[in-house]
Amino acid sequence: MKKKLALIMALLLIPVSIAGCGSSSSTTASTEPAGTADTSTAVEAADTSAEVEAAKAASSYHFLEEDLGVESYAIGFRKGDEELAETVSGAVQALVLDGTYDEIGKKYPDIKDYLCLKADDIDPSTLPEKGSGDSSFTFKHGFDLDYPPYSFLQDDGSVGGFDVELCQAVCDYLGWGYESVPFNWDAKDMELNAGSCDCIWSGFTKEGREDDYTWGITYSNNTQGILVPGDSDIKTLADLSGKIVGVQTATSAYDMLQDSQKDLADTFAELKVYETYTIAYNDLKAGAIDAIAIDMTAGSFLITDNNS
Amino acid sequence: MSFSTMLSSMGEGMLRSCAIFILTILFSMPLGMIVMFLRRSRFTIVREITKIYIAIMRGTPLMLQLLMWYFGPYYLFGMNIRGYRFTAILLGFSMNYAAYFAEIYRGGMETIPVGQYEAAEILGYNKVQTFFKIILPQVLKAILPSVTNEIITLVKDTSLAFTLAYNEMFSIAKQIAASQTSFMPFVIAGVFYFAANYLVAFIMERIEKAFDYYK
Repeated sequence: MKKKLALIMALLLIPVSIAGCGSSSSTTASTEPAGTADTSTAVEAADTSAEVEAAKAASSYHFLEEDLGVESYAIGFRKGDEELAETVSGAVQALVLDGTYDEIGKKYPDIKDYLCLKADDIDPSTLPEKGSGDSSFTFKHGFDLDYPPYSFLQDDGSVGGFDVELCQAVCDYLGWGYESVPFNWDAKDMELNAGSCDCIWSGFTKEGREDDYTWGITYSNNTQGILVPGDSDIKTLADLSGKIVGVQTATSAYDMLQDSQKDLADTFAELKVYETYTIAYNDLKAGAIDAIAIDMTAGSFLITDNNS
Repeated sequence: MSFSTMLSSMGEGMLRSCAIFILTILFSMPLGMIVMFLRRSRFTIVREITKIYIAIMRGTPLMLQLLMWYFGPYYLFGMNIRGYRFTAILLGFSMNYAAYFAEIYRGGMETIPVGQYEAAEILGYNKVQTFFKIILPQVLKAILPSVTNEIITLVKDTSLAFTLAYNEMFSIAKQIAASQTSFMPFVIAGVFYFAANYLVAFIMERIEKAFDYYK
């Protein structure tokens, strides 16, 4: 009796240990065959930039043409930190004028089209001078390390992203020291209020939070969309009725589906809330959910990065 | 958002947390017994395999194990994993906790002197009788405090289920905290966990008293 039982358990354990080792290596393999499927729809949904289009055509996932809404990304400061907000915003504008802003933007093709500051709209007379900051001051940049392409771990393991580079450039311009404070997104308000960081600058949406922070300049905008597999029968927002849609917790897409797009969310069979989009994307690949509600830049990053 | 809406949506999450908790206890405690027997098996190969199993279960984060259980079947065999989420969570938790329980049971078993087995044999008890009538009551008594520890840890570990987008209580607390820029949900979560663990400790104390028959 004990012998048999032991044998059965032993047999059960073998696939478990194999499952533990094998799954990471097969991740890349499983995405390859799907890469060429349904290029036409992918192009249809693509934006103006040729690079974005090329990237989307290469992937088997695309956004629906209808979007959920537009939002603006700005820098959030502690309430009452008007002076700091003004100085940083001024430095960002100065970087737009000297071309640094566009230069950094070029490194991140997914967000290039969403950078909304234009040199023509800026009045150079009100901006802080280069090197005018207090050199003994260290500016603590608070951000989520899981929010590409605004702030994320680079391939070489260093901290980077558009927001991180722009913030570093601001500190260089003003002559401040720079300190990165990657935090848990859920704890951002506690971090800011506790003073462990001076700002929240990480693809941070202003809409709906207008009164909660002292806001710096809006430097990027973004569109919330619905990401579906290339062979999906979902073509419009109405087709999402009765489907399972994934979203990351504490994101604008999530807030929108709870608020301005609540009626749409109510038609879903289920709104699955994830801790990170990475897991949601794996679920979409595996076919466990039908679509993901995500902003266009993070979504493009997800699909191009995972299909390349 | 009013305090009562906060409480009611978190209460819903609490029920989901409880579902994981109760089912995990139900599966992992007996499974742990089986693993313990395998770990003490006469056959070296069975013993060694069980050791590896325990080493993996204790040596890797439960969060990773949950991901493996859920996405493993898809990546390895291309299986459709729709609707498999809750099963994967239970598998992950039960297999993990079974390893811990097995070691706790084994610790209890090792305290029984060989003389008791010999005495039982002489008195004509067979192996099953010896185990259930003589060994097990003593082992249970000895391991109860460690088991309480493990159960309390499990209550708090239920929050890991959110890794697989299972909306248990703590993930709802985080979502509300983020959208309301409020610390209140975390306070409520803390009270929930404390109350649950207090209840666990209370029940376990009662059970310990019930086993206190030598006094």
